[in-house]
Amino acid sequence: MLEYSILAGLLFGLYFCLVGLGLNLIFGVMRIVNLAHGDFVMLGALGACGLFGAYAINPIAAAVACLILFIIIGFPLYYLLVPRLLKSADPEMLSIILFFGLSQVIESLTTIVAGPTERSIPGNALGEHPVTILHQTFPSAWVVSAVASGVAVLLVFIYLYHTRIGRLTRAVMVHRDEALATGIDVGRVSGLAFGIGLGLAAVAGCFAPFMLGGITPASGVELTIQSFTVIIVGSLGSPLGTVLGGLIYGVSLMLMQTYFSSWAGLLPYLLLIAILLVRPSGLLGRKVRHA
Amino acid sequence: MPRSFRNTLLVLVPLVIIAALAPSFYANQLLLFNVIVFLALAQGVNIIYGFTGYLPFGYVGFFGAGAYGFALAVMHLHAGPIAAMAVGAATSIVFGLVLTPLLRLSGPYFAIANLAAALAISEIVSNPALESITKGPYGVSLSGIFAPTFSYSVAVAVLAFATGCVLYLRYSRFGLALQAVRDDPISAAMAGINVVWARTVAWLLSALIAGLIGANFAWYVSVFYPDNVFSPDFSIFAIVFALFGGVATVLGPILGVVLLYGLYNVIGISTPQYFQLIYGLLIMVLVLFLPNGLASLLRRWGIHVV
Amino acid sequence: MLFDPVDIPAAAGPLLTVTNLAKKFGSFQALEDVSFDVRPGEVLGLVGPNGSGKTTCINVITGLYRPNAGSIQYQGQPIGGLAPHKLAHLGINRSFQIPKPFKSLTVRENLEVALKYGSKSSSPGDLAPLMDFLELDKHAGRLASELTSAQQKMLDLGRALATRPRLLCVDELGAGLNPAELEQVSDRLRKLARAGLALLVVEHLMDFVDRVTDRLIVLSAGRDIFSGSLSQATQNKQVVEVFLGAPDEH
Repeated sequence: MLEYSILAGLLFGLYFCLVGLGLNLIFGVMRIVNLAHGDFVMLGALGACGLFGAYAINPIAAAVACLILFIIIGFPLYYLLVPRLLKSADPEMLSIILFFGLSQVIESLTTIVAGPTERSIPGNALGEHPVTILHQTFPSAWVVSAVASGVAVLLVFIYLYHTRIGRLTRAVMVHRDEALATGIDVGRVSGLAFGIGLGLAAVAGCFAPFMLGGITPASGVELTIQSFTVIIVGSLGSPLGTVLGGLIYGVSLMLMQTYFSSWAGLLPYLLLIAILLVRPSGLLGRKVRHA
Repeated sequence: MPRSFRNTLLVLVPLVIIAALAPSFYANQLLLFNVIVFLALAQGVNIIYGFTGYLPFGYVGFFGAGAYGFALAVMHLHAGPIAAMAVGAATSIVFGLVLTPLLRLSGPYFAIANLAAALAISEIVSNPALESITKGPYGVSLSGIFAPTFSYSVAVAVLAFATGCVLYLRYSRFGLALQAVRDDPISAAMAGINVVWARTVAWLLSALIAGLIGANFAWYVSVFYPDNVFSPDFSIFAIVFALFGGVATVLGPILGVVLLYGLYNVIGISTPQYFQLIYGLLIMVLVLFLPNGLASLLRRWGIHVV
Repeated sequence: MLFDPVDIPAAAGPLLTVTNLAKKFGSFQALEDVSFDVRPGEVLGLVGPNGSGKTTCINVITGLYRPNAGSIQYQGQPIGGLAPHKLAHLGINRSFQIPKPFKSLTVRENLEVALKYGSKSSSPGDLAPLMDFLELDKHAGRLASELTSAQQKMLDLGRALATRPRLLCVDELGAGLNPAELEQVSDRLRKLARAGLALLVVEHLMDFVDRVTDRLIVLSAGRDIFSGSLSQATQNKQVVEVFLGAPDEH
């Protein structure tokens, strides 16, 4: 039981890293709290369900398509919303409200266009046979999702650490004003990071039906909270922290579901609050308290 | 001070009179009751956001705590409605006290943590394991206390209290101190303000208001499910109404409730998705173009907003 | 009365005594073994190159940080580690390098709040003399956010003075002011000192230091390396090196 829980937790943990990574990237680069993050995950999920249902397109292919689509959408959306926000008196707080509004817009539009019913994809879309790891057996959908998540996370790290734009992105993350002063096109870097953040959310969404069950247009809020828990445990703004956060969250969730299943739904909330109170900067991070 | 007294008369008295007399002119008392609920909640949000700058994304947690405190007092202690309301208010304050450590967090973290707290208490209350205490997800049905007219009048009193609190903050130096803390906590501390204590007082006052009106709601409807009293809609609507009208004023939230909740009742009840779309867009436009709400627009035109 | 710190007879000894003060941030030693004292009516300058710990010193004295070692005595009582608002009540206050007024409040409200919460006097008091002193009286009803940066500095100073302090720490008040403004400000500080206030002035501009201070302390890399008058300081080899760099060895 315990080994199963821990290994399953690690699989889910990898998946949750992916879920949180986009949110963390956006916050790290422009200090904006994307409260609509969960809704982009939801869009990816509904997109994958739709593509699978209508054209039998494999979710992995759907994920790639989503990534590209949302990067393309993210860029103009960035320019529409963010520069004005950054000029305001309190961008962090106002961003919460702004993106909350966006989340309502996305949720309502999706419900109007696609209806409120739950969507899902049969598990065997990602493989027929259960996979055995270290004597424990898991549905192949879980393993494939976890591996795909791991690959995505790796690609993000390669982007940040081994490409020119990635290095510029990290410079902006460390010190936006300084980066501007050294001639970096902060707007373009941020816009791209924003698009990638949304794209990663959508990719995570494509695997959500396998990892999290049925998705409805209203699933956004829960997904956002889970993402926040992941990145706050790790630490807001640190990509490596998200990996740590995801794994810890995944394992804790699995253990809760195994041993205290009726209370497992509480875990993301309590973990979030506990971390914020005990070690608000997360396991790897920066100060978030008032003086 | 003369100005505050005059403004009290100009705003509070008509508000109470209209609220008290409205049922004689308009048959849908439930709608009027809901308007009062939102007027109170919007002022509660006003106190914590307008005066201290903390955004209570999980404000409904206090509302629900008040409702369930009331319900538990009636079901298990066989308390009368007024006593049960006191219990509901106390429950909400206790919940607020438990969450005071969150006030150490900066803005966005606080907002998210508060949301998580509300979701957590909702999850706990509706858990089947607690069925014997809270009736879990099966809902509460309070017998023997249903009294729409009396509970409506009490709601008017709660509204008067909530509005009165904001009037007090608007014209007192404690209200100035809170705004100072919101603007710059370090400078405020050097001005001699005990920042932690000031924030806590505002926080608990805000929790008290939500708890009172939540308990009142439980009394008025007498039958409800966890989803009814922990619906995120309460937090969201209250925040949007307060923001739209303009926080740190008394009239702002009132304007916000009257205009937006009115709009909701005209077009939103039959097609909630369309209303959700409109108010989502409204929030975005507000943040980008009018972050200080209608009151700031009025101020720009030279009108002093109470 | 502009402000009235309770009269302390000059013979009563130093108002503030800092002994072997140390402050560390992680592995960075910002202050080490710093000692000095300030008497009522005295203006003590705190100078040193960038990063020498001057602002940190003020931050520790005014309660923003706890000291790691050493003691701070105010009127004979230890105050290290007390919260800023408590220190304000005791009569210690400061201005900020970058002024931090309450932006959504008017000038008058900024001062009212400090008067009510910071000073021990129970009477509302008249802020007119204070606003007059700082030349903010014409701007009493304007929002703090609408003031020029020089005016905001004065408002910041006013906020500190409204709490009726006995010890005022001033952090780089001169920065960004033109010569006329500098002269006004230095006059004001000297007036405050004559009224009995003890002043600790952190400053970069030597001309300002010369005009305002009675004596000074030089900090370098967190340590105090000199105590004395400005003219003595300019003749001290170590001080000169710290400011100008060591001469080339040939």
